[in-house]
Amino acid sequence: MTGVSVDPASIDRDELERHIREIGGELAAAFPSSARHPMRALDARAMDFASSDQQLKAALFRFVDVTPACRSLDDLARHLRDLLEEVPEAPPPIAAAMRIAHTRAGRTALGAAAAAGVKHMAHRFIVAESPAEALAGLRALWDRGVASSVDLLGEATVTEPEADHYANRCDEALEQIATASPRWASRPTLEADSSGPIPRANVSVKISALTPLLRADAPERGRRDAAGRLRPLLRHARELGAHVHIDMESLDSREAVLELVLELLIEPEFLEGPSAGLVLQAYLRDSPDQAARILEWARTSPRSSPLQVRLVKGAYWDHELVQARQHGWPTPVFEVKAECDRNFEELTVRLLQSRPAVRVAIASHNLRSVANAIAASRMLGGEDRDLELQVLRGLGDELQDALASLGMRVRTYCPVGDLVAGMAYLVRRLLENTSNESFLSEQARGTPLEVLLAAP
Amino acid sequence: MAELPPFANEPVLELRRAAVRAQLSDALARLDQQLPLSVPVMIGGDSRSGEELLSTDPGDPDRVIARCPRASESDVAEAVATARRARGDWGMRPAKERAAALLAAAQWLRERRLELAALEVRECAKPWREADSDVCEAIDFLEYYARGAIELDRGAALLQVPGERNELDYFPRGVAAVISPWNFPLAIACGMTAGALATGNTVVLKPAEQSPGCALPLVQALRAGGVPADALALLPGEGDAGAALVRHPDVATIVFTGSLPVGLEIVRAAAEPADGQREIKRVVAELGGKNCVIVDADADLDEAVPGIVSSAFAYAGQKCSAAARVLVHEAIADQLIERVAGAVRVLVVGHAQELETEVPPVIESSAQERVARYAELAASQGRIAVRVEPVPDRGWFCPPTVATDLPPDSPVLAEEIFGPLLAIDRVRDVEHACDVVDGLRFALTGGLFARDPATVRYVRRRTPVGNLYVNRGITGAMVGRQPFGGNRLSGTGSKAGGPDYLRQFVEPRAVSENTMRHGLVV
Repeated sequence: MTGVSVDPASIDRDELERHIREIGGELAAAFPSSARHPMRALDARAMDFASSDQQLKAALFRFVDVTPACRSLDDLARHLRDLLEEVPEAPPPIAAAMRIAHTRAGRTALGAAAAAGVKHMAHRFIVAESPAEALAGLRALWDRGVASSVDLLGEATVTEPEADHYANRCDEALEQIATASPRWASRPTLEADSSGPIPRANVSVKISALTPLLRADAPERGRRDAAGRLRPLLRHARELGAHVHIDMESLDSREAVLELVLELLIEPEFLEGPSAGLVLQAYLRDSPDQAARILEWARTSPRSSPLQVRLVKGAYWDHELVQARQHGWPTPVFEVKAECDRNFEELTVRLLQSRPAVRVAIASHNLRSVANAIAASRMLGGEDRDLELQVLRGLGDELQDALASLGMRVRTYCPVGDLVAGMAYLVRRLLENTSNESFLSEQARGTPLEVLLAAP
Repeated sequence: MAELPPFANEPVLELRRAAVRAQLSDALARLDQQLPLSVPVMIGGDSRSGEELLSTDPGDPDRVIARCPRASESDVAEAVATARRARGDWGMRPAKERAAALLAAAQWLRERRLELAALEVRECAKPWREADSDVCEAIDFLEYYARGAIELDRGAALLQVPGERNELDYFPRGVAAVISPWNFPLAIACGMTAGALATGNTVVLKPAEQSPGCALPLVQALRAGGVPADALALLPGEGDAGAALVRHPDVATIVFTGSLPVGLEIVRAAAEPADGQREIKRVVAELGGKNCVIVDADADLDEAVPGIVSSAFAYAGQKCSAAARVLVHEAIADQLIERVAGAVRVLVVGHAQELETEVPPVIESSAQERVARYAELAASQGRIAVRVEPVPDRGWFCPPTVATDLPPDSPVLAEEIFGPLLAIDRVRDVEHACDVVDGLRFALTGGLFARDPATVRYVRRRTPVGNLYVNRGITGAMVGRQPFGGNRLSGTGSKAGGPDYLRQFVEPRAVSENTMRHGLVV
């Protein structure tokens, strides 16, 4: 692995650790009490229940996954029963559910209950079914001191009309949010940093949805096709003064996405805008090389506004691991969580040191990673407004409020779309949330703060 | 020989990395400098070159890839006689020694994998990814059967009672005739040959006339690895050489992968004993398919559509395992047809050496004509949901086509087309789909996209196919993971790359020894 060189002169390790503990403590103290959110506590218990048994967890996830394809309550209950029958030792409540699923009336009742349960869970992660319906929610966030980035959920793009449809939805979302957001109250923390104004309207775009032609073995064609749909979006965002953030997905598409973004953003028509960003995935072993490439590009970029780099852990860990194992390839991701966490912290410092050539967004629900970012930013002499923290809707709600209450700029990634469209996304989020090593489940189990904040 | 590490599949190239892709054009350039190859008739230490037969690039039929003589009846007689003489040596060697030769051959192939893939790109119009997979599969067969032969050599456990020692061991059957196809030009030829050699048989290999060039490095690898020249002959030639081999009285085992009509002809010929024949010929045959993918109403179409499209159109549908039909639940049929048609519309039809190519040309002009005939029939009997046109003029290209609404008795729904033509039918439910599958003569591969475990259990029980794939594409069987081969008229039920495969190449012999001597067990 390529090591990241952090200039030891700029950050004193011991002092950094002291700051991390201090900031981490402040953040933890600012977390809202779960007693004020009875529904949250309920979800946490449900998650805990499901996480305790791998086979039950698998069955429930597969059920959530198939829900949108079920045609009736009876069909839904039948799927639930058949999936639960695969669990060798079902806990008593599950066994009871299976008994009633053997009559039609029982299935209708069970199906209705299950559908409501899935919908309730989906709403925790999905803001609204359409951008227009999401506006009220985005404004409510803004009023609490929280910015947003809207992500349009959808089915996989396998045809040209599907790619066009996704591009149109992104375009409409940009238009609607950019039209509505000027009426929002002034929030200086959220709309400017040392480099200048930060757009209120912010949409995250997936390249795999902008073209049906992405192929890992031949990235050029998909890139060309996606460029044809991304350019109009960038133009429109420039006219509207909105931000476009290009999401990163699995490693199969990384080269195409990175090349596309770095190439398009320095086309003459985009030198003066729009504000744009991309993503760096810290779970990839070669992410330091990617960081070097992006930072070199940013330093020499003739664009007027700095590129925003969102540092994430990465959401395709299982996929990358399984794909590599099935093909006999070296694993592209860190398999030990602590290694990944260390890399995340090193990349955080490296990005922070590269300001103002880049705007830095640290997207994590790990209290330690977030505290590290704030502490390192301050120790490097940065203002708090020159660091953005990002969280996911439904998973980072408490952290979001804690960060806002400390006066940090926090942006919540807000999936928008119907339940069918959102299901793949949802299952990924659920897997992440209930994985044994996840920070959130550690936190939910009541792991002591000093352990949560310990250096990885 | 030290204990072998457990079998693992040879990793395919990680073509998603630009640095890996960059090596391919160099490999192709190196190969092009050697073309055309000369593929001789190789019997024992002798070889005879010739120019009676040519193999050409399906994407550029003027480019000659290999020149070879046409093996004659006397070549067949000499090759079989030489192989028969070699049985005593090769067949009596310890299994570990034979295994070592196979492993050395695997290493020989590994060291040349890019050039070998390039050869498949040129001679068979295999796109890079598929060509590379074929080379890896050839390596896998060598590694897998080497281990399997050592295991088989331990014999089988029998009941033992006091006073007797019972043993069951496996011995080579004798001379095997291997008649291999062009669509997996290295892997299938290698698997059939390696299976026979690993178990101590000697082999006369007659490769498909479309791909003699790819057979040459296989023979070179095995001989370089330590298989005696007398134990492995190469007979480039046409159907008459294959027919002569099948009829030869000293051929004990016939290993064939190819079309149903030829397979049935072989079964018939093998059943007719020739003068001087001492064994009942055993036929190991892998024949055609009419492979169906069932899509239930609860399927995840985001997975089903790409799975169907790649299974039907990769390598222009020229895989025995390729999807020929989709049987989709009527509740989601319109949606599925629209999405499959849209996904097919953006397929890249092009030359095999271009990495973007998804649908290369078919193997030869007669194949192009055959596919066109079925496409016309589909158009006249049903509805064409999509046909990707135009395709390049030069080379044996066929427009990828999806047909729907065909009458149940249409030949398009029953016969193996072996090209980029997919038929989609609506079914009332999964039970109806299973009835359709059950009505077919073939039973090679099948697919199911469904998310209810009870449906998966039901289809497993009802489908006779040799390989059922659930919620994934239906091609790309991996050695040791998806033992491959079909039932009904799709083959003799042999499972290449599986634990049972080698048993077809051996004869079992039981020995029972009395261990009582004058009332004492000694």
